[in-house]
Amino acid sequence: MNRGLKLSSVSKYYQEGSERIVALDRVSVSVEPGEFVAVVGPSGSGKSTFLSVAGALLKPSEGEVLVNGHNIAQLEDRQLSDIRLREVGFILQASNLVPYLNVLDQLLVVRRMAGKVRAQDRAFAAQLLEELGLGDKMDRFPEELSGGEKQRVAIARALVNDPGVILADEPTASLDTRRAHEVVSLIAQEVKARGKAAVMVTHDERLPGYCDKVYRMEDGKLSPAR
Amino acid sequence: MYLAWKEMRHSRTRFIMIGIIYVLIAWLVFILSGLGNGLSTLAAATFKNMAADYVVFEQGSKASMTKSLLSGDLAEELMALPQVQSASPMGIVLSSALKEGGSSDEEKVDIAIIGIEPGSFLEPAVVEGEGLSPERPAFAIANESLKDAGFRVGDVFQLDGSTEKLTIAGFVRNETYNHVASVFVPIGEWRKIAFAAPGSDKGVANPVNAIMLQGKDIDPAAIDDRLPGTMTVTRSAAVQGIPGYKEESGTILMMLGFLLVIGALIVGVFFYVFTMQKTHQFGIMKAIGAKNGYLAKAVVAQVFMLSVAGIGAGILLTYGTAAVMPEGMPFNLDVRLLAFYSLLLLAISLISSLASIRKVLKIDPMKALGRLE
Repeated sequence: MNRGLKLSSVSKYYQEGSERIVALDRVSVSVEPGEFVAVVGPSGSGKSTFLSVAGALLKPSEGEVLVNGHNIAQLEDRQLSDIRLREVGFILQASNLVPYLNVLDQLLVVRRMAGKVRAQDRAFAAQLLEELGLGDKMDRFPEELSGGEKQRVAIARALVNDPGVILADEPTASLDTRRAHEVVSLIAQEVKARGKAAVMVTHDERLPGYCDKVYRMEDGKLSPAR
Repeated sequence: MYLAWKEMRHSRTRFIMIGIIYVLIAWLVFILSGLGNGLSTLAAATFKNMAADYVVFEQGSKASMTKSLLSGDLAEELMALPQVQSASPMGIVLSSALKEGGSSDEEKVDIAIIGIEPGSFLEPAVVEGEGLSPERPAFAIANESLKDAGFRVGDVFQLDGSTEKLTIAGFVRNETYNHVASVFVPIGEWRKIAFAAPGSDKGVANPVNAIMLQGKDIDPAAIDDRLPGTMTVTRSAAVQGIPGYKEESGTILMMLGFLLVIGALIVGVFFYVFTMQKTHQFGIMKAIGAKNGYLAKAVVAQVFMLSVAGIGAGILLTYGTAAVMPEGMPFNLDVRLLAFYSLLLLAISLISSLASIRKVLKIDPMKALGRLE
């Protein structure tokens, strides 16, 4: 089976009035397990569309997207949410935690969507939080956490279902330089340790140093940046 | 259930506020239904209790006792008709009772004097004393509410506007007509009271107001054809014909209807606005793999928990209210009625959450990407 994330000549078009917008233009990229890739580019360049297609939120207009071996172009909407639940871990922008769940429940709700929460799931969630330095904050609510802590919870949540692919959408958008470095290095560390295929979309030029490869997105075209 | 409960605990204030509104609505629904039930009992209990299936009135009387005058002799002809098991005459006249020997200052009690054949299927069972008997024409059985006015078995009372006196032979339970206590007398005695003025019987032999029939599947039209000048209706139609009955229960039902619609709208709008506020949050949940059904269930579970808690509190408050209500208030809480309105409220609330569910289903998980809120 083909682990990791593989896009082969993927295009995505939108119809806007009578105009056809090309959001992704024959994008091909392959991310192996344990590899951390950054995609940089100005806003409107197609980064979000790229992430949506890679994360099974959107189906491509053309081309093949393999998320841990599953070709999402052939799946129904219901199956897409299953792929997102089991194969993809999303780390989104700062306000992406559920406000009424405490830190531990943020992780367990993901397990609950996939079925029952067993004792070992609880232990694994606690261990993840411990690793990310949140061991003493498990019963806190998001409003009681700092921006950096919230993003660490989001990292733990992305990992709790043990997905093959991790996708991060501007994970440092609301953080200062020190916390941004802290969060991205944590992502890099977890991705390496757990053998995940990871993609981070960012416009933050300070960060790609943590990544194995950097791509630039411009007008829907993806090209290696260095 | 899990998400729903966690959120309700976290956003306590918000849910307590909508909960209070829900409780008030449920409370008012139950009180109105109890009041409606009490009023309709007061207006028509005697009619509703009677073991009769059909009522024969004079033609053109609009199924109203007060407008109908028939000959009691028709009962025998009716007995001969197919499907009719038994037929018995009945008459009603409103009057007031004054205890014998009481001063004229003493309060008079309004009563409905109901003439029936002693021993017929129309005679209710006594809870105290003895029933009617043809040998004792001036003896009556009265609703036990007369006891509150100081009447006892063996007491004699005078009737307003009549020289007739009646002795209480016994008491019956829950027998009221037109909001006053029913007093049952033998039909012959009733005629003396009702047609005291010469000529008021319009020359009808053995006059009565109506003849009650027992029997299944009687064809009213067939009876109308056989006996010209009569009109046969079902007992429930006769209840509707009681003066003021339709208007009274219609008013209460209209209020109940409005209340239920208002309740549905309040719950529906609350959850709709609440869902709109959470669009981004639902988008995130969908992005991390939540299925539509999982999120829709959470909304339904919240509406369900809110409704059950609100209805429960409403029931408790209603019983509390009933306990402190003044005696004589026509309030009659029926468990079946309570259950009916509880389920109706619950069902209407759940239906009203459909708008929110539709909204949840339409939320695009792409909302979770990009723009920071």
